[in-house]
Amino acid sequence: MFLAIKEMKHSKTRFAMIGAIIMLIAWLVFILSGLGNGLSTLAAATMKNIDGDLFVYEEGSEAAMMKTKVAGTVADDVEGQYGVDNAAKFGQSTIIVQNEVVSDSKEKNDVTFAGIEPGKFIEPEVVEGKQLDANDPFGVIIDESLHEKGYELGDTIVVTSSDLKLEVVGFTKGETFNHLPTIFGNLETWQSYAFAAPGSDNGLENPVTMIALQGDSIDGEQINANYDGVETFTKSEAVMGMPGYKEESATIYMMLAFLFVISAVIIAVFFYVFILQKTQQFGVMKAIGASDRFIKNSIISQVFVLSLVSIIAGIALTYLTALVFPAGMPFSLDFKMVLIYGVVLLIVSVLGSVISARQVTKIDPLTAIGRVE
Amino acid sequence: MTGLALKNVTKSFKEGDSTVDALKNVSLTVEPGDFIAIIGPSGSGKSTLLSIAGALLQPSSGEVLVNGTNIGEMKETDLSSFRLTDIGFILQTANLIPYLNALDQLLLVRRMKGKVTSKDMEFARTLLNDLGLGQKLGKFPNELSGGERQRVAIARAFVNNSNIILADEPTASLDSNRAFEVVKQIRKEVKDRNKAAVMVTHDERMLEFCDKVYRMEDGVLTLQA
Repeated sequence: MFLAIKEMKHSKTRFAMIGAIIMLIAWLVFILSGLGNGLSTLAAATMKNIDGDLFVYEEGSEAAMMKTKVAGTVADDVEGQYGVDNAAKFGQSTIIVQNEVVSDSKEKNDVTFAGIEPGKFIEPEVVEGKQLDANDPFGVIIDESLHEKGYELGDTIVVTSSDLKLEVVGFTKGETFNHLPTIFGNLETWQSYAFAAPGSDNGLENPVTMIALQGDSIDGEQINANYDGVETFTKSEAVMGMPGYKEESATIYMMLAFLFVISAVIIAVFFYVFILQKTQQFGVMKAIGASDRFIKNSIISQVFVLSLVSIIAGIALTYLTALVFPAGMPFSLDFKMVLIYGVVLLIVSVLGSVISARQVTKIDPLTAIGRVE
Repeated sequence: MTGLALKNVTKSFKEGDSTVDALKNVSLTVEPGDFIAIIGPSGSGKSTLLSIAGALLQPSSGEVLVNGTNIGEMKETDLSSFRLTDIGFILQTANLIPYLNALDQLLLVRRMKGKVTSKDMEFARTLLNDLGLGQKLGKFPNELSGGERQRVAIARAFVNNSNIILADEPTASLDSNRAFEVVKQIRKEVKDRNKAAVMVTHDERMLEFCDKVYRMEDGVLTLQA
């Protein structure tokens, strides 16, 4: 540590430059993780928010929302059996809406229309207004992000390509589905919209998209066996089945993995060159009695200090840039995640230096003797 | 026994197909308080002798006794800590660490052993003061003159209080006045602190400061009258 700190103080420019590179890599890692986090929220927040233990989809649907239709009667039937405490029906369609009140703008918005049963566990808490009511079939709870687009309590929402009109009764927050803000309404209202065309219900009784089940030890196998055309999935499988979710997170994780490898290689290469430059110096130190371990420790502790400071600077830079990102950008930093990635980056950097430091063993202390410069 | 003793030391190197004897049956004894010089042309084996005496090289045959320990029987890993505690090297052109000031050059050697105590700090200061560097403790090597750098290197060799001092061409890059100054100071420290010291040099002007002078030629060591 003694040598490490003294050297960094002495060659400030050199170490500031390497530090800057580590800082920029850290910055990129944190920005990407924030983006990944924001995107996954956008893709699947509503799904993630459902407090269900097992999910019933159509058989062969691979938990993909676009491929599934199940009979709502299954929900009523399994409740109280197979370890199911609660079963809630869920229907969803992507619709295009317009605000009737702000008619002069004519702006249209893509939203996800989720049909649910009022009072069941899928229904989100409102932050403003009131909850859904079975006696008010056209009342809907909408995501806060629509507030910014001019939707207010009491506004009438016109669903395009249909004669359906909905009324905003409440706002909820953090409810996005398939990258779109979610509108929660009565299941029957949704059914009458979604299955308006004859035959579109596949002949199912009380058709819904998916059924969420609550219970500590649900026997999914039995449900699969006893009902025709259904298949149960765990929550993580259900989230993975969200459109684009798997692909988006795979892309982000791949980039993150590459960044970790790149930072390890950069550190390893930098310090490899440093050690080559300092062969004579290390030779002298070994001649006067320094052990390999002493020299290696000083190199590794140098990388540790340098990486630690740079990563902390990277975190600060990330939070600064987050301030100037546009509001609509799907970016959300989770401090716990930033911390984890920071630690991983630190470990990876130190590992890179450990690899380089191994060559110290090969330096012969004899280089210090009998050489006139 | 203390001091340095080489008994019938031979060192051969493989060079292609043939074997070259760098040292041939060399014997040498240096008692504490002795300051001896080894002179000879380049390639005569001076540096090899110094490397063997300094536990940097193992002899092909013969015994090397440093303070009574036969270093020929030691393992590679033990040799570095042996060098640290029992041998002080004064290397040519000082070979100081560029980013450490004069005081830290000495403390580094203490740190290789473990913690630096305030006593170590005091001893390092005393050494540098004795060598006339009292005003230069905080100077980096590039801020010191060649002679001053060499004096820091001398202080560094003495900081662990080891019994053997080995100097490899300590005056190589100095002008006459500075060279005399440096060798006189090595002599003074050796006498004051009762060390066994060997200086390898090809600078014959320095020999008047040495107690004995050996000449090395083609791997054979002879005492010069």
